[in-house]
Amino acid sequence: MRKPMQTGLIVAAILAVLTITEYLFATHVDDDLIRFLGISVSAVGKAALIVYYFMHIYRLWRPQEAH
Amino acid sequence: MYAVKSVAGAMGLGLIGFYLGLGIVAILRWLFGYPDPWGGEINIIGGWVLGVFLWLMGIGMWGQWGREWFGLKTYQRNLPGWQRYFTFNTDHKVIGIQYLVTFMVVFFLAGALAMLMRAELAQSGNQFLSNGQYNGTMGLHGILMVAVAVAAVIGGIGNYAVPLMIGARDMAFPRLNALTFWLVPPVAVGLLATPFLGGIEHGWTAYPPLAIRTNSAQVLFSLSIITFGLTSILGALNFIATIIYMRAPGLSWGRLPIFVWSMFATSWVALLYTQGFAAALFLVLLDRLGFSFFDPATGGDPLLYQHVFWFYSHPAVYIMVLPGFGLALELIAHFSRKPLFAYKYAVAAFLGILGLSGVVWAHHMFTSGMPNYLHGPFLVATELISVPTGLIFLSALGTIWLGRLWLKPPMLFALAVIFNFACGGVTGIFLADVPTDIHLQDTYFVVAHFHYTIVGGEIFALFAAIYYYFPKMTGRMYSERLAKLHFWWMFIGFNATFFLMHLPGIKGMNRRIADFQSELDPLNFTISLAAFFLGASFLVFIWNMVYSWVRGPVAEANPWRVRTLEWQTTSPPPHENFPSIPVVRGGPYDYGVPGSIHATFPSAPSAGFAGAPAGGGQ
Amino acid sequence: MALATAHQEAAHAPAYNHLAINRAGLWLFFFSETILFGLLLSARFYLEGIHREELNQFLGLLITIVLLLSSVTAYTAETAIEHDNKKVGSWYLFFTILLGLIFAGGVAFEWSIAHFHRSESFGSVFFTMTGVHATHVVTGVFMLILVWAQALRGRYGSKNAWPVSAVVMYWHFVDVVWVFYYPALYLTK
Repeated sequence: MRKPMQTGLIVAAILAVLTITEYLFATHVDDDLIRFLGISVSAVGKAALIVYYFMHIYRLWRPQEAH
Repeated sequence: MYAVKSVAGAMGLGLIGFYLGLGIVAILRWLFGYPDPWGGEINIIGGWVLGVFLWLMGIGMWGQWGREWFGLKTYQRNLPGWQRYFTFNTDHKVIGIQYLVTFMVVFFLAGALAMLMRAELAQSGNQFLSNGQYNGTMGLHGILMVAVAVAAVIGGIGNYAVPLMIGARDMAFPRLNALTFWLVPPVAVGLLATPFLGGIEHGWTAYPPLAIRTNSAQVLFSLSIITFGLTSILGALNFIATIIYMRAPGLSWGRLPIFVWSMFATSWVALLYTQGFAAALFLVLLDRLGFSFFDPATGGDPLLYQHVFWFYSHPAVYIMVLPGFGLALELIAHFSRKPLFAYKYAVAAFLGILGLSGVVWAHHMFTSGMPNYLHGPFLVATELISVPTGLIFLSALGTIWLGRLWLKPPMLFALAVIFNFACGGVTGIFLADVPTDIHLQDTYFVVAHFHYTIVGGEIFALFAAIYYYFPKMTGRMYSERLAKLHFWWMFIGFNATFFLMHLPGIKGMNRRIADFQSELDPLNFTISLAAFFLGASFLVFIWNMVYSWVRGPVAEANPWRVRTLEWQTTSPPPHENFPSIPVVRGGPYDYGVPGSIHATFPSAPSAGFAGAPAGGGQ
Repeated sequence: MALATAHQEAAHAPAYNHLAINRAGLWLFFFSETILFGLLLSARFYLEGIHREELNQFLGLLITIVLLLSSVTAYTAETAIEHDNKKVGSWYLFFTILLGLIFAGGVAFEWSIAHFHRSESFGSVFFTMTGVHATHVVTGVFMLILVWAQALRGRYGSKNAWPVSAVVMYWHFVDVVWVFYYPALYLTK
């Protein structure tokens, strides 16, 4: 059980960093394109992390069940 | 009579829920200090939500599902005979018949409304209906028929046939399946109640600003359609999971009957796009409550509605017509006694339409005032749809070619699908091309085209399927002579009505309007006569079905001598469909291929199992 | 088809993999919901471009962090229950419920201090998007409470973790939606 818990904490840390990045991009970057790219990339990254590590999307195409 | 008690109790609970919801919203409004706690349409929304919820709980969801949420033991009641059709039954065959009968009733109701409209349109000026009444009739006809087109084949034939065809015992989520059916009665009640609140004035498309300024019938309309969208989405989800996970051993994707493939593609369309209609009407509801999505005065944009609405409602025509195509191909292969021509291309065509369906919606909006640079891309994308459609046609024609056609009623209807849809496809080109569309937009040409594709393509397929599966569903046979009479009567009536309807359209007669210029009188009178002729053909059908269901001769297990799995069990099939799960050994359409078998049943069938020999067919 | 499983050549009646079927059904539901949220998101940019009214940035960041944190606690709860650690599982389910309620409260507070009205188009967009999302959050809280009540009685374990997994997956999905809604509503210029 320790390993998945560790994974959870690492993902949480990355999510926190990305959220702060997103926020800083929004408040401190004036160039529209760079701001848009920064925010979008952070958001997509966060979503991907949650979908993969928290929602275990890979379990969909894994034929055998294992936890 | 448990069923009567159960339905009556659920109706009572639903009503209590409705009033409770009204009251709860009123109390909340009072708490938040609104001057008129009872006055808002939001009360109706609250009432609807709680009413539908309690109705579902009352009809059996609580006992079979809800108790589980609280860790209680669920119980299931399997009633004998007709009573199972009036309870929360999870058997896919029961649900299929529930859907089919319900939507046939709705179909005839909406057809009667069409007769009323044609009576009004037989002559210029207003004879029977005021303009308002005509709008209400037209709107109700439209939305009821859309509901029939969306649900009758998918919910009725799909539910009944798909698990049987793939050799499964039931759908992947049987309780969800029952839930989708029992959401339909509130929808029907909601839609049929609209005339009492002033009628639907905006047709089935509900464009703002009219949808926002019209009477409160709009609220019932929106709520019903959102609920119906939920039905559609959950049903589609169920089909996809069933087709992916519940296929019998050996039934690989390449051996799947083509109707199952069409249901698969359809279900994806329904799953991914139905949100659009629901979301559009949800936003209309919000606008009626003081939001501003569609009011340009406060920053909204009415075109937003059309984008969101057509984002669903164009793919919706594929939801309607793809299962029709699938049925037509399926029946043509069986009744030509030939392998389906270009099976892989037909499958690719279904998936291609699935892929293209999401990028063509704005061809409904060429005259709406959307930016001009969008015209080209949507024109091209729309024309591209004819490529996969053409593949389906070629598959059908190639199957007929040199086949030994067995012209039974299902086959006649399936052939008519091909003919009618060809007409609908050709007239579609004029509506996809911007220059002609600008002239033809909103005329009877559109009405004729639409009815050629949906009635000609889907409703004919629906009747084909009913004549095909009637012996399987009821265990009885209908009168073939009456069925053929119905076919020719309906085919001639249909083509007369809707072919003629192109002509006033080209002359610019607007649809959705009770009156027209008097020079179109003779033409419209002829169309009305043809329409009444078409309407009368269904009396033959009703008589044939009702009489045969009660008194018809007992049908064999496999009257059509076809190979697919649903015919390798008794008519009607037992509770879990098959005595043992079949093992599929070959393709479903290999008629005339020496030594080919479709499926075998591992353990020897028991004595009570009087089905056709495994493998079936010629 | 990415979702396909390999059961073609199974010799006898297939023992349907109910877990896989349930999981696929849930994901299909998520796909469908994605379209709904995506349509609302598109409507926001269609009507307003990247224009935005002034919002309480601190509150926005705070509730975002609360919701992300609730995803972490939900993950912990699921993992614990899958490893038969029922006590940790129920506690973390409880934390998730708490964080969910704080998020919903935060949205309600945001609504009460918003200086725009629903009859302006940004107001329409903002209240609809946050409202639809918050409805999902509240639904999720209800489901978490149901699961929590069972978890307290020790009903779930490694053999029977699906109800917890399902609710937790739903919770993560709602979180993913907010991951996109937060920048779209709070962080545009």
